Amino acid sequence: MAQVWKRWIPAAVGVVVVAGVAATVPLAANASAGLPTKSAQDVLALAANSSVSAFSGTVEQTSDLGLPSLPAGVGSSSSGSSGSGSGSTDSASDGSAAVSSALELLTGTHTARVFVDGPSNLRVQVLDQLAERDVVKQGDSLWLYDSSKQTAVHATAAKPAQDALPTSPEQTATPEQLAQKFLDAVDPTTVVSVGGDVTVAGRSAYDLVLTPQVTDSLVGAVSIAVDSETGLALRVEVTARGAADPAFSTAFTDLSLAIPSADLFSFTPPAGTTITEKTVTEKTAPTAADGSSAAAPHKTPDNDSATDAVPADAKPIVTGTGWSSIVELPAGSDTQALTSSPLLSQLTTAVDGGHLLSTTLVNVFVASDGRVFAGSVSAEALEAAAVQ
Amino acid sequence: MLPSESSVATRRKSAGWALMGSELAVLFRRRRTWVMLAALALIPVLVAVAVRLSSAGSSGRGPAFIGQISENGLFVALVALTICIPLFLPLTVGVVAGDTIAGEASLGTLRYLLVSPVGRTRLLVVKFVAAMAFCLAATIMVVLAGVLIGAALFQIGPVTLLSGDTIGVGDALLRALLIAAYVTVSLLGLTAIGMFISTLTDVPVGAMAATVVISILAQVLDSLPQLDGLHPWLFSHYWLNFADLLRQPIEWSSFGSNALLQLGYVVVFGALAYGRFASKDVLS
Repeated sequence: MAQVWKRWIPAAVGVVVVAGVAATVPLAANASAGLPTKSAQDVLALAANSSVSAFSGTVEQTSDLGLPSLPAGVGSSSSGSSGSGSGSTDSASDGSAAVSSALELLTGTHTARVFVDGPSNLRVQVLDQLAERDVVKQGDSLWLYDSSKQTAVHATAAKPAQDALPTSPEQTATPEQLAQKFLDAVDPTTVVSVGGDVTVAGRSAYDLVLTPQVTDSLVGAVSIAVDSETGLALRVEVTARGAADPAFSTAFTDLSLAIPSADLFSFTPPAGTTITEKTVTEKTAPTAADGSSAAAPHKTPDNDSATDAVPADAKPIVTGTGWSSIVELPAGSDTQALTSSPLLSQLTTAVDGGHLLSTTLVNVFVASDGRVFAGSVSAEALEAAAVQ
Repeated sequence: MLPSESSVATRRKSAGWALMGSELAVLFRRRRTWVMLAALALIPVLVAVAVRLSSAGSSGRGPAFIGQISENGLFVALVALTICIPLFLPLTVGVVAGDTIAGEASLGTLRYLLVSPVGRTRLLVVKFVAAMAFCLAATIMVVLAGVLIGAALFQIGPVTLLSGDTIGVGDALLRALLIAAYVTVSLLGLTAIGMFISTLTDVPVGAMAATVVISILAQVLDSLPQLDGLHPWLFSHYWLNFADLLRQPIEWSSFGSNALLQLGYVVVFGALAYGRFASKDVLS
């Protein structure tokens, strides 16, 4: 009988070895390096003086905003049905597809590969299962490519695309870009501190914690991992007030500081692709602003740059300052895209005088008259702003 | 070393290779194996004929890549793989892996195999390698049939990758082979599970059914968002990530994670199969 039990020994060893490797490898990757202590001001300066202009890496974004997770390809199915629509409804359906797509990107987990070479060359590849969404920017030319729909949008910016599309995906694709927006928002009401050392994408980093002191903001804390060598932001985590786990997190899982190959930035749409040409002027800019202001938690600190691009007749009105500011989009054709999205009507709840999209980090109130209010503040504050 | 000892060692080694050869010959001479391979080859043919006959064009529905077939026949192979991976490939692999030990036991040939100078470990390894060979043959069959029928019914040209870049036919065929390798590796974990179940029973049909059920169960678990902590540990988690080989530049990380995960499954269930098989009383 003892003989029989001995024969199970290799089996037990095999199981234990595999379990051991599986348990220890992630721990080893997260071991923190002993970095010299730095004050919050030093880390802020380190981040501000970051000189990294070219890199490639993989970014993983996780959102837990309290929204139901949407099936991938929600955007594509709604656009498929809009294909047969008449010309007049096309732009509205396009807008609602863009909203669905933006909302889909803000739920669940997404992985993207990012290639950056200087301020003018950028490529973002959102890796979906059996599909991919690409953003390719080279100079003034911007391509958006969707492999599942086989569509491409070509935007030529009259002025640099940077200003024209304030919070479109290519502006917030990397933790670095997002971190910059938060760092720009640091004001006297924000307490800046340095947490323990962290390891992100195999690099040791300082953990910079921004804590808004205003009590009416939904944002509890923003944690930014700043690379100890280069000052590059490697991870951004936004925690809602009173929550223990981050509601939104974007982080490099892999980072290389080598200059990416140049042919990644030149894009020729493949044969069989439906191409939409757009010249980014004042007219089309609000669509981008709509889509992202609807749900982007990082939108609020970005009010100033958003206002640059929006034409005078639909200029967002910003009330309040800092973390608790509220953005108001006046009623117009642009907010129509937002309100007509069937997906959005499922996600919103009807309240007095309009509909409310409520997440842990940002609330959006769509008034019955078409005005849209968004901010990292309570729903009551938004409704009060709408009444005024 | 005494001459007699070394000659015994040589004989055992050659017996192992001979066993390998005979095992492969038995597997690929079996009518059941060819019926399964033919059924797999039928899937790309059906897909291609259906797309050829329907003039509706792409409506944006159906499996991934299906809209691209009419422009490029090479996509038939990809659509067929996407269809085969969740059910048909696990089904055929389950039949082969579930049959490995239980099949011999039910035919009463297992004890004769063990009487010949072949250890139980070696028999298990030979059986596993033969099942691996079937995984490769099955995947190659789908890809090959897809490429051939695609070339026959549609035009073949430069291939559009998921990233929107275009590569030539030669490069595309190379990537098709890489994908075949990826899918083969993907199936090894299931093969090891099937072989372990096969050592538990003398009824091959039971082992086959249990293996197929486990593969479906893993995919059901993988689709429940509430269990996302479990997902990276399921052997079916990376099955559809073969598409990462269709990006520009190729995203190798899923190939690596998948290979590592399957290796883990092979080690664990291979060791369990060894423990069970080595301690088992072979009565039939």
